[in-house]
Amino acid sequence: MKYLLGTLTVLLLAAAATGFFCFRMSVDPALHAAARKGDSMEWLCADFHLSKEQFAAVKQLHDSYAPSCEEHCRVIQQATKARQALVSAASGDAAALAAAESRLVELRTSCETALTRHVRQVAAEMSPADGERYLALVLPRITNFDHLAAPDLSLNRAR
Amino acid sequence: MNTPHNSLSGVLRRWRVTPPANPNFRHAVWHRVNARVRESWPVYLRSHATAWSLAAVVMLGGAAYSGSALAQARARADREAMVVTYLVDLDPRVQAALKP
Repeated sequence: MKYLLGTLTVLLLAAAATGFFCFRMSVDPALHAAARKGDSMEWLCADFHLSKEQFAAVKQLHDSYAPSCEEHCRVIQQATKARQALVSAASGDAAALAAAESRLVELRTSCETALTRHVRQVAAEMSPADGERYLALVLPRITNFDHLAAPDLSLNRAR
Repeated sequence: MNTPHNSLSGVLRRWRVTPPANPNFRHAVWHRVNARVRESWPVYLRSHATAWSLAAVVMLGGAAYSGSALAQARARADREAMVVTYLVDLDPRVQAALKP
Protein backbone atom coordinates (compact mmCIF):
# COMPACT_ATOMS: atom_id res chain seq x y z
CA MET A 1 0.00 0.00 0.00
CA LYS A 2 2.86 2.32 0.92
CA TYR A 3 4.56 1.70 -2.43
CA LEU A 4 1.29 2.02 -4.34
CA LEU A 5 0.65 5.48 -2.90
CA GLY A 6 4.26 6.48 -3.35
CA THR A 7 4.32 5.40 -6.98
CA LEU A 8 1.02 7.12 -7.64
CA THR A 9 2.31 10.35 -6.11
CA VAL A 10 5.49 10.25 -8.18
CA LEU A 11 3.47 9.59 -11.32
CA LEU A 12 1.07 12.44 -10.57
CA LEU A 13 3.96 14.83 -10.00
CA ALA A 14 5.59 13.68 -13.24
CA ALA A 15 2.30 14.16 -15.09
CA ALA A 16 1.88 17.67 -13.66
CA ALA A 17 5.44 18.54 -14.67
CA THR A 18 4.87 17.12 -18.17
CA GLY A 19 1.63 19.05 -18.57
CA PHE A 20 3.27 22.27 -17.42
CA PHE A 21 6.25 21.72 -19.72
CA CYS A 22 4.02 21.07 -22.74
CA PHE A 23 1.92 24.13 -21.87
CA ARG A 24 5.02 26.31 -21.68
CA MET A 25 6.35 24.89 -24.94
CA SER A 26 3.06 25.44 -26.80
CA VAL A 27 2.04 28.79 -25.36
CA ASP A 28 2.90 32.06 -27.09
CA PRO A 29 3.89 34.51 -24.34
CA ALA A 30 4.20 37.46 -26.74
CA LEU A 31 0.66 36.93 -28.02
CA HIS A 32 -0.66 36.65 -24.48
CA ALA A 33 1.20 39.77 -23.37
CA ALA A 34 -0.25 41.72 -26.31
CA ALA A 35 -3.75 40.47 -25.51
CA ARG A 36 -3.36 41.38 -21.86
CA LYS A 37 -2.37 44.92 -22.81
CA GLY A 38 -4.95 45.10 -25.60
CA ASP A 39 -2.23 46.44 -27.89
CA SER A 40 -3.17 45.77 -31.52
CA MET A 41 0.20 46.67 -32.98
CA GLU A 42 2.03 44.46 -30.51
CA TRP A 43 -0.39 41.68 -31.41
CA LEU A 44 0.29 42.10 -35.14
CA CYS A 45 4.01 42.04 -34.47
CA ALA A 46 3.89 38.96 -32.23
CA ASP A 47 1.23 36.88 -33.97
CA PHE A 48 2.31 37.52 -37.54
CA HIS A 49 6.05 37.43 -36.91
CA LEU A 50 6.74 40.92 -38.25
CA SER A 51 10.34 41.95 -38.68
CA LYS A 52 11.32 45.51 -37.72
CA GLU A 53 10.98 46.62 -41.33
CA GLN A 54 7.62 44.92 -41.77
CA PHE A 55 6.40 46.40 -38.49
CA ALA A 56 7.46 49.89 -39.55
CA ALA A 57 5.70 49.48 -42.91
CA VAL A 58 2.51 48.21 -41.24
CA LYS A 59 2.60 51.03 -38.71
CA GLN A 60 3.00 53.55 -41.51
CA LEU A 61 0.02 52.03 -43.32
CA HIS A 62 -2.05 52.28 -40.16
CA ASP A 63 -0.99 55.86 -39.55
CA SER A 64 -1.85 56.87 -43.08
CA TYR A 65 -5.18 55.05 -42.87
CA ALA A 66 -6.17 56.66 -39.56
CA PRO A 67 -7.29 60.06 -41.01
CA SER A 68 -9.46 58.40 -43.66
CA CYS A 69 -10.92 56.19 -40.93
CA GLU A 70 -11.75 59.31 -38.90
CA GLU A 71 -13.33 60.92 -41.93
CA HIS A 72 -15.41 57.82 -42.73
CA CYS A 73 -16.49 57.69 -39.11
CA ARG A 74 -17.56 61.33 -39.19
CA VAL A 75 -19.64 61.06 -42.37
CA ILE A 76 -21.28 57.81 -41.21
CA GLN A 77 -22.22 59.52 -37.95
CA GLN A 78 -23.66 62.48 -39.86
CA ALA A 79 -25.63 60.22 -42.17
CA THR A 80 -26.89 58.18 -39.22
CA LYS A 81 -28.02 61.31 -37.42
CA ALA A 82 -29.75 62.58 -40.59
CA ARG A 83 -31.58 59.31 -40.95
CA GLN A 84 -32.55 59.32 -37.27
CA ALA A 85 -33.89 62.84 -37.65
CA LEU A 86 -36.04 61.74 -40.58
CA VAL A 87 -37.27 58.68 -38.67
CA SER A 88 -38.26 60.73 -35.65
CA ALA A 89 -39.76 63.58 -37.75
CA ALA A 90 -43.51 63.59 -37.84
CA SER A 91 -43.64 64.36 -41.57
CA GLY A 92 -42.72 60.78 -42.55
CA ASP A 93 -41.10 61.68 -45.83
CA ALA A 94 -40.62 58.19 -47.24
CA ALA A 95 -38.53 59.29 -50.21
CA ALA A 96 -36.15 61.31 -48.02
CA LEU A 97 -35.89 58.42 -45.58
CA ALA A 98 -35.10 55.99 -48.38
CA ALA A 99 -32.48 58.38 -49.71
CA ALA A 100 -30.92 58.68 -46.23
CA GLU A 101 -30.92 54.90 -45.85
CA SER A 102 -29.35 54.54 -49.26
CA ARG A 103 -26.72 57.16 -48.40
CA LEU A 104 -25.87 55.29 -45.19
CA VAL A 105 -25.58 51.96 -46.99
CA GLU A 106 -23.40 53.60 -49.63
CA LEU A 107 -21.13 55.11 -46.97
CA ARG A 108 -20.83 51.82 -45.11
CA THR A 109 -20.01 50.01 -48.32
CA SER A 110 -17.38 52.55 -49.21
CA CYS A 111 -15.97 52.27 -45.69
CA GLU A 112 -15.89 48.48 -45.96
CA THR A 113 -14.12 48.73 -49.31
CA ALA A 114 -11.52 51.11 -47.88
CA LEU A 115 -10.97 48.94 -44.83
CA THR A 116 -10.66 45.80 -46.97
CA ARG A 117 -8.13 47.57 -49.17
CA HIS A 118 -6.21 48.64 -46.09
CA VAL A 119 -6.03 45.16 -44.55
CA ARG A 120 -4.95 43.73 -47.90
CA GLN A 121 -2.13 46.27 -47.98
CA VAL A 122 -1.18 45.26 -44.43
CA ALA A 123 -1.25 41.58 -45.41
CA ALA A 124 1.00 42.32 -48.37
CA GLU A 125 3.68 43.53 -45.95
CA MET A 126 3.64 40.19 -44.13
CA SER A 127 5.12 36.90 -45.21
CA PRO A 128 2.71 35.09 -47.58
CA ALA A 129 1.67 32.51 -44.98
CA ASP A 130 1.17 35.07 -42.22
CA GLY A 131 -0.60 37.42 -44.62
CA GLU A 132 -3.05 34.71 -45.56
CA ARG A 133 -3.68 33.85 -41.93
CA TYR A 134 -4.20 37.54 -41.13
CA LEU A 135 -6.69 37.97 -43.96
CA ALA A 136 -8.50 34.78 -42.94
CA LEU A 137 -8.90 36.27 -39.47
CA VAL A 138 -9.99 39.81 -40.33
CA LEU A 139 -11.73 39.71 -43.72
CA PRO A 140 -14.74 37.60 -42.70
CA ARG A 141 -15.31 39.88 -39.73
CA ILE A 142 -15.14 42.99 -41.88
CA THR A 143 -17.53 41.49 -44.41
CA ASN A 144 -19.94 40.15 -41.81
CA PHE A 145 -19.43 43.18 -39.59
CA ASP A 146 -19.66 40.94 -36.53
CA HIS A 147 -17.14 42.71 -34.34
CA LEU A 148 -19.56 45.41 -33.20
CA ALA A 149 -21.38 43.46 -30.51
CA ALA A 150 -18.40 41.88 -28.84
CA PRO A 151 -15.80 44.64 -28.40
CA ASP A 152 -16.91 46.01 -25.08
CA LEU A 153 -16.75 42.59 -23.47
CA SER A 154 -13.45 41.81 -25.12
CA LEU A 155 -11.93 45.15 -24.27
CA ASN A 156 -12.97 44.79 -20.68
CA ARG A 157 -11.54 41.31 -20.60
CA ALA A 158 -8.30 42.30 -22.27
CA ARG A 159 -7.63 45.39 -20.15
CA MET B 1 14.27 -61.31 30.26
CA ASN B 2 16.48 -58.80 28.46
CA THR B 3 15.23 -58.85 24.89
CA PRO B 4 16.78 -56.67 22.09
CA HIS B 5 13.56 -54.61 22.13
CA ASN B 6 13.99 -53.78 25.84
CA SER B 7 17.60 -52.93 25.19
CA LEU B 8 16.66 -50.41 22.47
CA SER B 9 14.06 -48.84 24.71
CA GLY B 10 16.60 -48.43 27.44
CA VAL B 11 19.09 -46.83 25.08
CA LEU B 12 16.46 -44.40 23.82
CA ARG B 13 15.48 -43.52 27.37
CA ARG B 14 18.99 -42.76 28.29
CA TRP B 15 19.74 -40.80 25.05
CA ARG B 16 20.15 -37.07 25.57
CA VAL B 17 20.77 -34.68 22.68
CA THR B 18 22.84 -31.67 23.60
CA PRO B 19 23.18 -29.55 20.40
CA PRO B 20 25.62 -26.63 20.55
CA ALA B 21 23.81 -23.38 21.27
CA ASN B 22 23.59 -21.03 18.24
CA PRO B 23 23.83 -17.46 19.60
CA ASN B 24 22.84 -16.04 16.19
CA PHE B 25 19.66 -18.11 15.83
CA ARG B 26 17.16 -15.46 17.03
CA HIS B 27 18.83 -12.72 14.96
CA ALA B 28 18.84 -14.91 11.87
CA VAL B 29 15.14 -15.65 12.23
CA TRP B 30 14.21 -11.95 12.59
CA HIS B 31 16.46 -11.04 9.73
CA ARG B 32 14.57 -13.40 7.45
CA VAL B 33 11.20 -12.15 8.71
CA ASN B 34 12.16 -8.49 8.16
CA ALA B 35 13.50 -9.20 4.70
CA ARG B 36 10.05 -10.41 3.74
CA VAL B 37 8.28 -7.47 5.36
CA ARG B 38 10.62 -4.82 3.97
CA GLU B 39 10.12 -5.42 0.25
CA SER B 40 11.98 -2.66 -1.58
CA TRP B 41 10.36 -0.13 -3.96
CA PRO B 42 12.24 -1.36 -7.01
CA VAL B 43 11.15 -4.89 -6.20
CA TYR B 44 7.56 -3.66 -5.89
CA LEU B 45 7.79 -1.81 -9.20
CA ARG B 46 9.32 -4.76 -10.96
CA SER B 47 6.53 -6.98 -9.77
CA HIS B 48 3.88 -4.50 -11.04
CA ALA B 49 5.80 -3.27 -14.07
CA THR B 50 3.08 -3.75 -16.67
CA ALA B 51 0.34 -1.99 -14.74
CA TRP B 52 2.50 0.95 -13.75
CA SER B 53 3.98 1.31 -17.23
CA LEU B 54 0.51 1.49 -18.69
CA ALA B 55 -0.56 3.99 -16.05
CA ALA B 56 2.54 6.11 -16.72
CA VAL B 57 1.95 6.18 -20.48
CA VAL B 58 -1.71 7.14 -20.03
CA MET B 59 -1.08 9.79 -17.36
CA LEU B 60 1.93 11.41 -18.99
CA GLY B 61 0.33 11.31 -22.44
CA GLY B 62 -2.86 12.82 -21.08
CA ALA B 63 -0.95 15.52 -19.24
CA ALA B 64 1.10 16.41 -22.33
CA TYR B 65 -2.01 16.61 -24.49
CA SER B 66 -3.88 18.68 -21.89
CA GLY B 67 -0.98 21.12 -21.53
CA SER B 68 -0.76 21.67 -25.27
CA ALA B 69 -4.53 21.91 -25.68
CA LEU B 70 -4.74 24.45 -22.87
CA ALA B 71 -2.02 26.58 -24.47
CA GLN B 72 -3.76 26.43 -27.84
CA ALA B 73 -7.10 27.35 -26.32
CA ARG B 74 -5.51 30.34 -24.61
CA ALA B 75 -3.86 31.41 -27.87
CA ARG B 76 -7.21 31.14 -29.66
CA ALA B 77 -8.95 33.22 -26.99
CA ASP B 78 -6.17 35.83 -27.02
CA ARG B 79 -6.25 36.03 -30.81
CA GLU B 80 -10.03 36.32 -30.85
CA ALA B 81 -9.93 39.18 -28.36
CA MET B 82 -7.18 40.92 -30.29
CA VAL B 83 -8.93 40.66 -33.69
CA VAL B 84 -11.96 42.35 -32.17
CA THR B 85 -9.87 45.05 -30.48
CA TYR B 86 -7.93 45.61 -33.70
CA LEU B 87 -11.02 45.94 -35.87
CA VAL B 88 -12.79 48.15 -33.36
CA ASP B 89 -9.84 50.52 -33.61
CA LEU B 90 -9.79 50.25 -37.39
CA ASP B 91 -13.38 50.11 -38.53
CA PRO B 92 -15.09 53.50 -38.92
CA ARG B 93 -18.48 51.81 -38.86
CA VAL B 94 -17.76 50.64 -35.32
CA GLN B 95 -16.20 53.95 -34.37
CA ALA B 96 -19.31 55.76 -35.59
CA ALA B 97 -21.53 53.48 -33.53
CA LEU B 98 -19.41 53.75 -30.39
CA LYS B 99 -18.75 57.49 -30.43
CA PRO B 100 -21.40 59.65 -28.77
